[in-house]
Parts: sequence; C-alpha cells; structure tokens
Amino acid sequence: MAVTKNGGAPGSGGKECFLSLRGVSLSFGLGDHRRPVLSEVSFDVAKGEFLCVVGPSGCGKTTLLRLIAGLLAPSAGEVVYQGRPVTGPSRDRAIVFQDYSKALLPWRTVKGNIALGLEACEVAKSQREARIGELLAKTGLQHAAHQHPNQLSGGMQQRVQIARSLAQEPRLLLMDEPFGALDAITRQTLQDEVVRLAAETHTTVVFITHDLEEAIYLGDRVIALADNPGHVAAMIEIGIPRPRSQLETREDPRFLAHRHRLFGLLQGHRQ
Amino acid sequence: MRRRIRGASIPILFVALWEAGSRAGALPNDTFSRPLDIVVAGARAFTDGSILIATWQTIEAALAGFAFAASVGVLCGALLGLAPRLERIVGPTVDALRPIPAIALMPLALLMFGFGLTMEASVVAFACVWPVLLVTIAAVRGIEPRLLELARTLEMPFGSSLRKIILPAALARIVVGLRVSVGVSLVVAITVEIVINPRGLGYGMIIASQSLKPDLMYAQLLWLGFLGWGLNEALSRAARRWPGAQP
Amino acid sequence: MRRLRLVSGVGAALFAAALLVLWQVLADREFISPVFFPTPTRTLAELYRQVAEGTIWTPLGATTLRMFYGWVLASLLGVVIGAAIGSSRTAREFLEPLLEFTRPLPASAIIPAAILFLGLSNAMSISVIAFGAIWPVLLASVHGFSSVEPQLLEVSGTLRLTRAQFIAKIAAPSALPDILAGARVSLAISLILAVVTEMQASQPGLGHNILLAQRSFRSPELYAGIVTLGLMGFVVNQGILKVEERLLGWRAPGQP
Repeated sequence: MAVTKNGGAPGSGGKECFLSLRGVSLSFGLGDHRRPVLSEVSFDVAKGEFLCVVGPSGCGKTTLLRLIAGLLAPSAGEVVYQGRPVTGPSRDRAIVFQDYSKALLPWRTVKGNIALGLEACEVAKSQREARIGELLAKTGLQHAAHQHPNQLSGGMQQRVQIARSLAQEPRLLLMDEPFGALDAITRQTLQDEVVRLAAETHTTVVFITHDLEEAIYLGDRVIALADNPGHVAAMIEIGIPRPRSQLETREDPRFLAHRHRLFGLLQGHRQ
Repeated sequence: MRRRIRGASIPILFVALWEAGSRAGALPNDTFSRPLDIVVAGARAFTDGSILIATWQTIEAALAGFAFAASVGVLCGALLGLAPRLERIVGPTVDALRPIPAIALMPLALLMFGFGLTMEASVVAFACVWPVLLVTIAAVRGIEPRLLELARTLEMPFGSSLRKIILPAALARIVVGLRVSVGVSLVVAITVEIVINPRGLGYGMIIASQSLKPDLMYAQLLWLGFLGWGLNEALSRAARRWPGAQP
Repeated sequence: MRRLRLVSGVGAALFAAALLVLWQVLADREFISPVFFPTPTRTLAELYRQVAEGTIWTPLGATTLRMFYGWVLASLLGVVIGAAIGSSRTAREFLEPLLEFTRPLPASAIIPAAILFLGLSNAMSISVIAFGAIWPVLLASVHGFSSVEPQLLEVSGTLRLTRAQFIAKIAAPSALPDILAGARVSLAISLILAVVTEMQASQPGLGHNILLAQRSFRSPELYAGIVTLGLMGFVVNQGILKVEERLLGWRAPGQP
C-alpha cells in the first residue's frame, strides 16, 4: 500500500482501506433499558490521514473511539483495521485519553511513564534510553524528565501521554478530546505540536473533539457526528493546505465556510 | 507539654503506689512483685540473653506466617479483584472459612506438624491471610479504570500488568491491610505460645508464672507491651511517610 | 440482574461442592494420613452424632456463656469508661498515653498473670475475655462520645440539660452506631478468647474438646469442633448485624 502523507486522498468504499467502519452500531443496556448510542456509522480512513470527528457532548464520539481502539465491541457492524476485523485492543492503535491525570502512572517519573510504552513493546533495554530521549525532545519534555506527573501542569501531563503513546510506535493514534481540559494558549500550542508529530512519524490520527474550529484547523477531513443516536451527519474535505497557522488559517475563507456549514449541520440535527 | 506531664502522671502514680504497697506488705509477694524486682529480673533476662532468644522465636514465627499470608493474600486478592465473576464463585467459600477462629486450628496444626516453628507459623498464616485478602480485593477493584485500559491497549501479559500497573496502583490501600495483618501476626503467635507451643515469649511468660517467678513474668509482659507499642508506632510512622497510605 | 445472581449463586455452590468432593476423594484415597485428614462425610457424621446424642450442647453452652459474660462485662465497662473519657478532654489527656500503650498488648499475654491471681478458673477466663474485648467498645465509645455533632451540643445548652441528661438523651444515641460496631468486633474477640482460655485452663467447652480430640488423635471430632466454632462465629456475627439494623434503622441509607 502506498504511503500517503497528510492531506492525501481519502479512501473510498471498496478499496482496501487502512481503517474502515462499516455500519457500526452500539447499544447499551438490556431489554427495556436498551439505549442506542451509535447508529450505522460508516466511514473509511486512509493511511497517514488526520481525521477529526466532531459532535456535541454525548453524541457517542468517545464510544466511537473506544470501538476503534477495541476496548468495546459493536452491537452491529464491524471495525476493520488493515483488512482484519478488530477484536480487541492492540499496541498498534494507541489511545490518548481525555483525563490525562488518570491515565498516567503517578508513581513513575515522566521518563518512567514513557518507558512503559517501550517496555510493553519489548524494546531492548539498551535502546530504551535513546528512544526516550528522542521522545522527550519531540514533545518538549526534556526538562521535566525526572518529575512526577502530579508536579506537572495539565498541558505537560498531556504531552507525557502523547509521548508514551508514540513510544508504542503506533500506526494509528486515537485522541479523545485531548485538549478539552487545557487553557486556550496551551491548547493551540499542542494542536500544532500534534500535527507536526503526526507528520514526522507518518501516523494516522483519529481526533475527537466537540470544538468545531479545532476540528477544522487540525483535520484533513472532518466527520460531523450528530446525536440521538450518534450517526454521521456529514463528511467534509477540508482542503486547506499545510502547514497551517493558528492566525491565518482561522481567517481563511475556506475555514469560515466549513465552520458555517458544520455549525448549521450540528445545530440542525439538534431539533 | 502539659499534656505530656498529665499523660505520664497516671503510669508514674501507678508504679509508685505499687512499689509502696509491696514494701508495706499490702500486696502479696507471690502475685504482685515489687516494681524494683521486676526491673532486676528484666535486666537479668536481657543480660543472659534468654529474653532476646524468646523474642526472636516469637518474631520468627510471626514473620514467617505473615510473609506467607501476605503473598497468598495479595496474589489471590489481585486475581479475585480483577475477575468479579471468579470472586462471585469463590466468595461464599471464603466467607464460610473466614469466621473460623485461627486458634481453633491450633490443635490441628499440632497434629500435623508437631510442636515448633511450622505449627505456629501456619496458625499465624491462617489468621493473617483474611485481612490482606479482603483489602487487596477492594483495592484492586478501586483501581482507576483508565490504567487497566492502558494495560489492555499495551497488550501487556498478565504478569507484567500485575507487577507494573495493578499492584502499584492498589498499593496504598493494600498497605493498610498489611498493617492490620502484622498486628494480628504478633497477637496470634503469642497466643499459640501461651496455650500450646513451647517456644517464644508467650511460653516464657507461662513458665515464669508456673515456676512462681512473677517478677520475671511481669518483666516479660512489659517487654511484650513495649514491643507491641513499638511495632505500632513504627508502622504508623512508615505509613505516614508513604504517600497515600493513611488508614 | 436477577438471572446473573442466580447463575453466580449456582456457580458458588458448585465451587464449594467441588472443593468438598476433592476433600472427600483425597481423604478417601489416604493421600494424606487420615489421622489428621478425615473425610468430610466422617466429619459430618461426627457432627450429626454429637447433635443427635446431645453431647454437643454442654460444651457449646459453656463456651457461649463464657463468651457472653466476658462480652457483656467488656461492653458495659467499655461504654461507661468510654463515655467518661469521650466527654471530658482532661480525662483524655490523662489517660490516652496509658491506653495507647495497653491497647496493642495481646490479650492472651494477660493469661499468665491472670492465672497467677485467679488460678485456672472461670473468673480467670472471664477477666481475660473482658480485658481483650473491652478495646473495640472502649475506643468506639470514646470516639462516639467525643464526636457528637456540635450543633447538638448547642441545642443541649439552650435546653439547659444537665450533664447526665445530655449523656443519656443526646450523646448516647448519637454514639450508638460506633458503639454497636465496636460491640460486634468485641464479640468476635470474646469468642476467640473464650476458646483460648478454655484450652489453656482445660475448662469444659468447644475449645477444650478440640484439644482433647487432638490429644487422642480423633480427627473427625477435631474437625467437627472446628466446623462448630466456625458456624458459631458466623451466627453470632449475623445476630449482631440484625440488631444493628433494627436499632439503627433511623440512619439514612449510605451513612456510615
């Protein structure tokens, strides 16, 4: 399969895709209390793509991500990863959780947390130092290497989580509203960092957020998920070339057009 | 400062009255010794090493039983805590075995192992396993689910995730159970020695009592009290220094 | 949800049954000497025999009575002393260090001294039981009485209640949950110490029977005794739990 960089052509149904969701539905509860959370979600993700999924709170975005990760199984339909159906979690599909403080090991230092990813991948001890050093540099954590997560700010902790995920050398990076709990400035810094990291490591990214502008800014494509139950309302090609900039891209007419369209879509489906 | 004076006043008063009463002949000599005699007897037991040997024997048995119970308790507790289905199946059997007083098993242990260290340690182990087991189950159940999902995503083999994620995350609460268990180990060891087993401090006290050497018996009793208090203090201090291990 | 509970109930029963079967097979084949590993059937037969012939009731009664006397004594003393200490800060200052030192002392360590004073008698037994069992109730009472809701203290002030009235009408009911919890632990300790002192002093009772069975290598009797003690411990604990439920029904669900 040809390696496509960010901004490459999206997959189309029928061709063997990197990641493919086919008619995925999920309901929770039994009998009378059965509650549909996701309904007939289908889309493809091409290798190297940066896909954003946006939708209001409670529309099932996180559930969708956990399905792709393999932490949940769909009630109907299937998730196909590299041609094979997903039956469980895998190192190849790393997940960055929203509540970073709960996803890091509080008794290990930053280095130790990153090392966990390497230990799991059975990287030889001799090579670990070098890899950790690389990741620390990539995520700007060099000065915090020996600190514990509870000594770090939210943004730094999230960086640690990202570094640990990258230590797994995943082909697919799943991010669950990773910057939702951070302040605006940190959020913008990390947004650019994530785009850069994904490009450098040729990782495919599925990024969940409720922030329209973040989705448009980051993604090659944006999938709008409307709620009750969660279903695909639209798939939009962003078509703004990279590298993007926080200031200029957000004033780009294409950006604004997408914003209008998505806003209308998600508002409309609320009725 | 006033609190300390007040706190010390009662024991000091008590000892003073005791000494005076003994000297005045008000307290019979074969049951109450004179505090001074007790001190002398104690000093002698230290210098000839007898009390130290006895102490070591008691500690040996308590430690052996505790170590075994802690390992079994933590391992099984982790397994049962992680697998609620397993816990539901095994649980009632555990609840049925738990109320059996450990000392009721003393004669059985005697039958199986004869007198000595093994017998005592096994009774201690039976008594100590329950607090550790129950606390570990609760602690493992309360682990942050994100960490468990992380372990799954990293496809860590069970042993690895147990060592690196599950046990460290549950450790603070497990330590509380271990503290209780340590206390239990000492109490049960002493009890076994007093009733059946001819070794250790408990046995020393019974012998002293039977050979009408009350001063030696009181000396050993005070020493035991001091050991128990010291152990408790040490555990409290250690728990305070370990982040998050407060009971 | 009910189906799940039914399935786990069946699973638990099967597990216990499997263990019993394993026990039976191992003991039957005599992998371990039958001297200290009788089959469950022989154990149960022995238990049945004791119940049918009525030989179980005397020792059971003796142990139970000793346990209760010691427990009641410990509870009364514990509540009274605990109330006094808990309601008075000066009393606490004077007595706390002494309590801190005596509490970790194993109750059984008192036995040699108790024998010296009281010989191998019931009095010795009950004093040892009381000494050991008093701590949970005492400490719970101290805690319960010293942590009465401050607003209730104010109410008592405005109503001009005497100290005695305050203790009886406000402090005691407020401390009751703690006291009952302490009493439950005390009862468990009382049972253990009753058995210990029996064994020590060769007094008639369940503990003594177990020891005798060991000396004459009659393992089914030994195991039957252990089972009886386990059952007793369970029943006694459940009993107190029921009493707690009755007396503390006024608590909102979820309150400690």
